[in-house]
Amino acid sequence: MKKLLFIIIILIAGNAFAQDKYFYVSLDISKPLDNTNWINSTTARGGKAGVRFFINPKISAGLDLGWSTYDEYKPTKTIYTNNSAVTSDYFNYIYNYSAAISAQYNFKVGDGEVLFPYAGLGLGANTNEYVLYYNIYQDSERSWGFLARPEAGILVKFSHRRSIGAMAAIHYDYSTNKSENYNYDRFSALGFQIGLVFITL
Amino acid sequence: MDNMKRKVRFFFVVLAGLIASCQSEPDTKTLLDQLVVSTNYDTIARFNSYVTFAIPTDTIGLISNNSQDTIITANRSDFPRPVLDAIGKNLSDRGYTKVGRKENPDLGVNVVVVNDFNVFQQIVYPDPYFYPGGGFYPGYYGGYYGYNSWYYYPYVNTYAYNTGVLVIELVDLKNRNANNQVRVVWTAYLGDIYSTVSLINQAVSGIDQAFQQSNYIGTGL
Repeated sequence: MKKLLFIIIILIAGNAFAQDKYFYVSLDISKPLDNTNWINSTTARGGKAGVRFFINPKISAGLDLGWSTYDEYKPTKTIYTNNSAVTSDYFNYIYNYSAAISAQYNFKVGDGEVLFPYAGLGLGANTNEYVLYYNIYQDSERSWGFLARPEAGILVKFSHRRSIGAMAAIHYDYSTNKSENYNYDRFSALGFQIGLVFITL
Repeated sequence: MDNMKRKVRFFFVVLAGLIASCQSEPDTKTLLDQLVVSTNYDTIARFNSYVTFAIPTDTIGLISNNSQDTIITANRSDFPRPVLDAIGKNLSDRGYTKVGRKENPDLGVNVVVVNDFNVFQQIVYPDPYFYPGGGFYPGYYGGYYGYNSWYYYPYVNTYAYNTGVLVIELVDLKNRNANNQVRVVWTAYLGDIYSTVSLINQAVSGIDQAFQQSNYIGTGL
């Protein structure tokens, strides 16, 4: 999956130079919202990156890639079943990767050249690898799901003349990603992004 | 435009590196600081019907695909004695009386290490994009990183997994069948004993835990 993301990134980077657009890369701080008994912790080990093309001054569309690692330590406990028992501590992990085609409505603020607030929706797919680590052992399950991601954010160019700026956004990820073994009927998360943006207008 | 291309490509190479670095795993020391303890018992067994037990004093069995040895002895390893002492103490604490092997014990104790040793070989094809001088900036760091040029050829990575489980069995010597066969009434598996922070301490703690989660063992029940 990492190699696939890398290839997609390189293809985009190599072929998108002719249009008004922006690239962004951001830290993604997110919190899972489903089956929080398994993992409830907020993670900052995630990121998002993408490219978005301006179809006109108000509408943009592009590709977003995301990744996050969620984890939670579960202290030692004994699980009894029939005539057996197992005692261990556990590390619950979810490795999440996503790709979405997104569209944004960009609001005009001031002269429209420094601040770019937007609201948008991304649709795509994500894959989760659910991993249970205990001692040297591990159990895992990978699954795929449809992803819908409403998002709102703002881009701020550092100055009129510079192409670099900052971005901040919040997003809600809803996916049909299921795991029978780890009791997920779906997977959703709330995230906050902060990062850099390279705007070519 | 070329300058912009280079900036953007460099940006994405950094990005790809960030993605790769985000897939973390648990801290090894915390993972390995206690053994996984699994126990199961024969539901037909009446543990309060046994009075005595026998246990070796200084020898643990060894089943291994890595060694010709079939036993681990106290004169060659620090491992057997504290392990056997801990098992004996737990059985005594539950009310059983330790006797010699030839004194007709009700319960026999088998202690075995099962060792599985595997060697893997993996051919690695390094991605030149991740190494300076090989990807987007040919020769950029060539002088400094020249000695790394062998990275671009596949190489074989050999690594080994050495895993082991400590198995403890309680054998019912009192109720033999017509063919003089005996039944294992309780088994504990403790692993992994080849990847530990402190082997003997963890093994002794694991043995205590095995009995703690088996409160049906005892003469008073």
